[in-house]
Amino acid sequence: MRKESPLRALLTVLVTAIVCSSIVSASVVLLRPIQLNNQLLERSGNILQLTGLLPAGGRVEDEVLLDLFRSLDARVIDIDEASLDSEFDPHTFDGRGAAADPELSVPIPPGDDLAGLGRRSRYKTVYLVWRDGALSRVVLPIRGAGMWSMLYGYISLEADFNTIAGVVFYEQAETPGLGDQVASPHWQEKWIGKKLYDATGEILFHVAEGPVTEGSPAADYQVDALTGATVTANAVTALLQYWFGPNGYGPLLRAMREQPPQQPESRPGQEV
Amino acid sequence: MTVKHPLTAPLIKENPVTLSVLGICSALAITNSLTSSLIMSVALTTVLVVSNVTISLVRNLLPPSVRLIVQITVIASAVTVIDQFLKAYLPEAASRLTVYVALIITNCIVLGRAEACAMKENVGTSILDALGNGFGYSLILIIVAFTRELLGRGSLMGYQIFEPASQGGWFPENALVMLAPSAFFIIGVLVWAIRVWIPEQCEKPDFEPMPLPKREER
Repeated sequence: MRKESPLRALLTVLVTAIVCSSIVSASVVLLRPIQLNNQLLERSGNILQLTGLLPAGGRVEDEVLLDLFRSLDARVIDIDEASLDSEFDPHTFDGRGAAADPELSVPIPPGDDLAGLGRRSRYKTVYLVWRDGALSRVVLPIRGAGMWSMLYGYISLEADFNTIAGVVFYEQAETPGLGDQVASPHWQEKWIGKKLYDATGEILFHVAEGPVTEGSPAADYQVDALTGATVTANAVTALLQYWFGPNGYGPLLRAMREQPPQQPESRPGQEV
Repeated sequence: MTVKHPLTAPLIKENPVTLSVLGICSALAITNSLTSSLIMSVALTTVLVVSNVTISLVRNLLPPSVRLIVQITVIASAVTVIDQFLKAYLPEAASRLTVYVALIITNCIVLGRAEACAMKENVGTSILDALGNGFGYSLILIIVAFTRELLGRGSLMGYQIFEPASQGGWFPENALVMLAPSAFFIIGVLVWAIRVWIPEQCEKPDFEPMPLPKREER
């Protein structure tokens, strides 16, 4: 090693910094489009799997997946107005960002905050699935605090706005081997066909404390417990209670039940 | 003892995980899945090679007072670039590895080899040393992950080997094995086994335990 001088040290650090930062910046800039495309593909796949539009079991080409996703009838709904329409464009609206934006979100009073959210966006992007001119499913985003992490998911309802057509939890960091079973497709399949509300409109759906007893009166409103993950399971129950209660999608679903939405004429979403 | 070979010595004899107990953080965190561990192994080995080569090339130009800064900058850049590549081309794996790819920066094996080998040796030896240490780390990770995924989920690399009890099969999944402490147990057993085989690895005790007083003196 050569002799040391402050100038030399400074120059060495400067050169290292410039060279390394150029390499890092270049990799970030060049790979960004691919990463964004991956995110879009993942989101499209999660949502489409709940619409019933994908062929069962088969893998779909990326382009087909994106085309299908773009053809979905996406709406940014106004939760508090119980309205299917708002001024936002569903293709650019950032629902997660909105939940943190004081202009676009509302604080939740602690007594009502079953899902542990603190604030929630007044607007949410939902997806309407049309079949032969009639509404067949609606896909709604849900989220809530689990044991360690925020659980993010989508739930799909049949046109009666009560029967669950599918659920996916696509982001979570619960305990490996226990709470992370929320992300298991095997468990999520058990939700299909269950009901959220009873005849009086009360939310009965919950994660059971053990295996569901088939044939019991409650079986329609229950899915099997997550073994060893009571906190995560209770969080799932609580977040559904919140999102389908009076402070979540409840009013909108009631409005849609009374006056079913009509398929729009000139919107995307009516692929042949 | 024969002359140490930079490629083979770190596999078991001087394994960075079991002898120096480095790189434990990621060995605990991501070994509940064999796939994640394989990707982590490749990522760490690549970072090691890149940092060792770079530092070995410039080792004679580095003023000693700033050499650690330069080493860490080189390592951090290599890690960031690899993280970006993983996010672009293996997004599912990257989302499962979460922060642990970025945490390779703080993996002591990388800085340790830069200081201990690349600052002194030529490029050829540095590459062999990086590969050797990378493979040594990978070996331990793969053994731990193999055990954990098989016992914890009954699967390997996501393929179901045993039908788990939760889905109607016979294999009872072991939830403890899926939690981080179990990696400690497995690494501990490995360290023990290797030190039985190669007793030179055992450290001398720091002190002699005080002899117990005789029964009648108690």
